[in-house]
Amino acid sequence: MQVTGQLLLTVLMGALLLGVAVFLARVEDWRSYTPLGAGGTAGESGYVSQEKPSGIIRWFTTVDHKDIGLLYGTYALIAFVVGGTMVMLMRAELWTPSNDASLDLLGSATFYNSLLTSHGITMLFLFGTPIIAAFANYLVPLIIDADDMAFPRINAIAFWLLPPGALLIWAGFFPLPDVIPAQTAWTMYTPLSAGVGAGNQSNVGVDLMLLGLHLTGVSATMGAINFIATIFTERSEDVTWANLDIFSWTILTQSGLILFAFPLLGSALVMLLLDRNLGTTFFVVGGGDPILWQHLFWFFGHPEVYILVLPPMGIVSYVLPRFAGRKLFGFKFVVYSTLAIGVLSFGVWAHHMFSTGIDPRLRASFMAVSLAIAIPSAVKTFNWITTMWNGKLRLTTPMLYCIGFVSNFIIGGVTGVFLASVPVDLVLHDTYYVVGHFHYIVMGAITFAGMAGIYYWFPLVTGRWYQRRLAKAHFWLWMVGTNLTFFAMVLLGYGGMPRRYATYLPEFATLHRIATVGAALLFVGGLIFVYNIATSWVEGTRVSSGDPWNLAEKNLNTAEWAWFEQRRETALADGGEEGDAVTDGGKVDADDE
Amino acid sequence: MATETEDAHDEGHHLPAVEDWPRGFGEASWWPFVTAAGAGGIYVGVALFLMGFGDTNIVPVVYGQATLVGAVGLFLVGLYGWLYHAFVSHFWQRGTDEHSASKLQWGMIAFLGSEVATFSGGFVYFFFIRSGPSWPPGELPPLLGSLVLINTAILIASSVTLHLAHGAIRKNNRGRFIGLLGLTLLLGIVFIGGQVYEYYEFIAHEGFTLTTGIIGSAFYGLTGLHGLHVTMGAVLLGIVFVRSLLGQYSADRHVSVTTASMYWHFVDAVWILLVVVLYVGAEIGGGAV
Ligand code: HEM
Ligand SMILES: [Cu+2]
Repeated sequence: MQVTGQLLLTVLMGALLLGVAVFLARVEDWRSYTPLGAGGTAGESGYVSQEKPSGIIRWFTTVDHKDIGLLYGTYALIAFVVGGTMVMLMRAELWTPSNDASLDLLGSATFYNSLLTSHGITMLFLFGTPIIAAFANYLVPLIIDADDMAFPRINAIAFWLLPPGALLIWAGFFPLPDVIPAQTAWTMYTPLSAGVGAGNQSNVGVDLMLLGLHLTGVSATMGAINFIATIFTERSEDVTWANLDIFSWTILTQSGLILFAFPLLGSALVMLLLDRNLGTTFFVVGGGDPILWQHLFWFFGHPEVYILVLPPMGIVSYVLPRFAGRKLFGFKFVVYSTLAIGVLSFGVWAHHMFSTGIDPRLRASFMAVSLAIAIPSAVKTFNWITTMWNGKLRLTTPMLYCIGFVSNFIIGGVTGVFLASVPVDLVLHDTYYVVGHFHYIVMGAITFAGMAGIYYWFPLVTGRWYQRRLAKAHFWLWMVGTNLTFFAMVLLGYGGMPRRYATYLPEFATLHRIATVGAALLFVGGLIFVYNIATSWVEGTRVSSGDPWNLAEKNLNTAEWAWFEQRRETALADGGEEGDAVTDGGKVDADDE
Repeated sequence: MATETEDAHDEGHHLPAVEDWPRGFGEASWWPFVTAAGAGGIYVGVALFLMGFGDTNIVPVVYGQATLVGAVGLFLVGLYGWLYHAFVSHFWQRGTDEHSASKLQWGMIAFLGSEVATFSGGFVYFFFIRSGPSWPPGELPPLLGSLVLINTAILIASSVTLHLAHGAIRKNNRGRFIGLLGLTLLLGIVFIGGQVYEYYEFIAHEGFTLTTGIIGSAFYGLTGLHGLHVTMGAVLLGIVFVRSLLGQYSADRHVSVTTASMYWHFVDAVWILLVVVLYVGAEIGGGAV
């Protein structure tokens, strides 16, 4: 029966690869579709065609931060599609309670658990971190007016470590004999993940996943070192610490967190691999004990959630004021709260372990710090709201996504504060409530901010406009879908539905179906998004001004658009074409504001 | 990690990789791709090895071994190309502004920060078992012998000689610089030899191995990780040494001497911590009680 699911997944993956191939084939002449900003044809100072080789070779050899940013972005979106496909299979399974050993759709709980594990790992490590790196690579050097990243070659190496990482992480799903995908869930708790006892987690599929994770961690650490060096030393003379933009601040803080979090995870992964294969005692009862894994994992894991959320907060802080018609309210406090979160995030890890029987005094102090960390988060939220207060809002797609971010972040944050309280957590731990909480943040906030960024900078990167109607449809499908899916999960948790199960009692059926319907909306929205981006990239209307969002009017323009304008002028002077523009709230035809 | 070039600038336009293969382009280089393919290949090799290891037997073990050898080779080729074009070639034509020096130093500082986190995993394990109910393990080999004391003295001495070498190149005293640098490298290699000898003694004569109780994991985990770092430090110093023999470096051109010594001093400091925490910490109240 499991074969059905495997088959389904294989077919879907095949369809995806086919789609990519078709797209690549359509763009057979890579040179003529090069994004405006990416060098090559639109030469500056007479370097026409001399900076980069043509064709696909350019992408394998590039050391240009903008190209590498695009590579990261493509990689992240492919991972997003893979991880999304996995979870759609799970949600489809959960349409029925299937209260018997063979599930209705996926065949076996084993396969469900494999999808669950891979979905989490894929979304956090192969989509989340890379999509942020995509924005940071493309934009930070432009915004701080640097030539490039501090170490352009290390930048490229860091990216090229990711594809083999993904292959190892997904290897369990490939048709390799006797290799089964890991079913440890993304937290990889010992002793299950150490492969001891009954069950099949001593299978080498788990080792492959751990190796792949380690590799992506190395990549993230190299990237972080590069960003720290870049922001410290590559700023142009006019960019001082006092006027450093909010996005770069969040990237700097995030890089600091990565620097201490990811290598520790790396060590823990190696220790786990040694336990599994060479008989060491790091996480063995009577040695370091299984609880040591939880401490090391969450000492990484909690900072990791802020590694994922700080830069999206930076994007929102950067983009939202542009469409609110005023400067970011309380800029300084947004920066300070970023730094405060960065420091505090290393002091809250045990709030994931309240129910493990750790010392109650420890529990109490971790509860206090966890409640405290909500304060800087709230400071930011109030700053976003006050920025919009009395502003002249322009409800463009990026702005809608920013507002969606704030609204979802509030629900995600408030549910988090409840979890931080020990007695509440003892009731809700390991229920769907927790799943609802963090998906409000990872999907409702982080991914929404990513979308705000993609739509906002789409003209900057491609010189073209996305299709406005499709973009708005995407937003509304996602806003409704996110809240349907994840609010249903919050309620499921209140009802006592435990997380990580392929079956459930019949009384949970209604809420589970609502969640699946919501997920279907997300899926449709995702399809629209991919279609919109792919087609607009190739044939969208060209941007007709150097200030497509019309920021100059309110004096809200930023450095990357000045760069864009300059690029555009040289390109036009070289005989670039110009067409009618259908903007999204920009200058030409103000849309539905 | 190591260091990166002062990039080429032309009419204010940034061209970081003019020298690299493929030639003739300013922003294209195969080296990162080759290096990353090698590094990724190492992981794939380990994965294949584990697939053939023990009673898993999914693929023959040689697949893994062959992939590992090939991947390490590829990795080294990529690394060589990258480091050579980034730092070594056209050494004297490069600018020497403070800016490129400070960027390399910040890179190294950040890298060392990440190293703190790497080491702390093993240390935390040791603290866990040291304060846990399974302590004392009752089966300790003689950790605090004369060997570790001599080895510690050697490593500290190497930090001193490296510091003096650094001072010498600042004063443009090349002869003294090369001599002291060579001495440092020698001391580093002697230290590694000492560690190997200690492993040999423990494994062959004391029967103390990686799987000897809870302390074996801590001992070999931590000293092994540290040994890898000393080895890498020695490789870095070796590169600097060879370059100095080729006549590179001067009073105002020695960034990689600075970054390599930051790394070396760091590894030295970790060793002292390791001796205090692991060797001394395990002996006190640890041995056959
Ligand atoms: C506003 C401050 C926040 C507080 C006080 C908070 C608190 C908590 C607590 C106490 C838990 C553990 C629940 C349990 O397992 O019983 C938890 C889980 C989680 N939180 Fe938060 N949280 C906050 C913000 C965030 C943010 C910003 C993110 C993501 C970027 C996030 C992501 C997660 C994830 C992924 C989990 C589940 C981990 C797992 O067990 O798989 N949280 N949160
Ligand atoms: Cu947490």
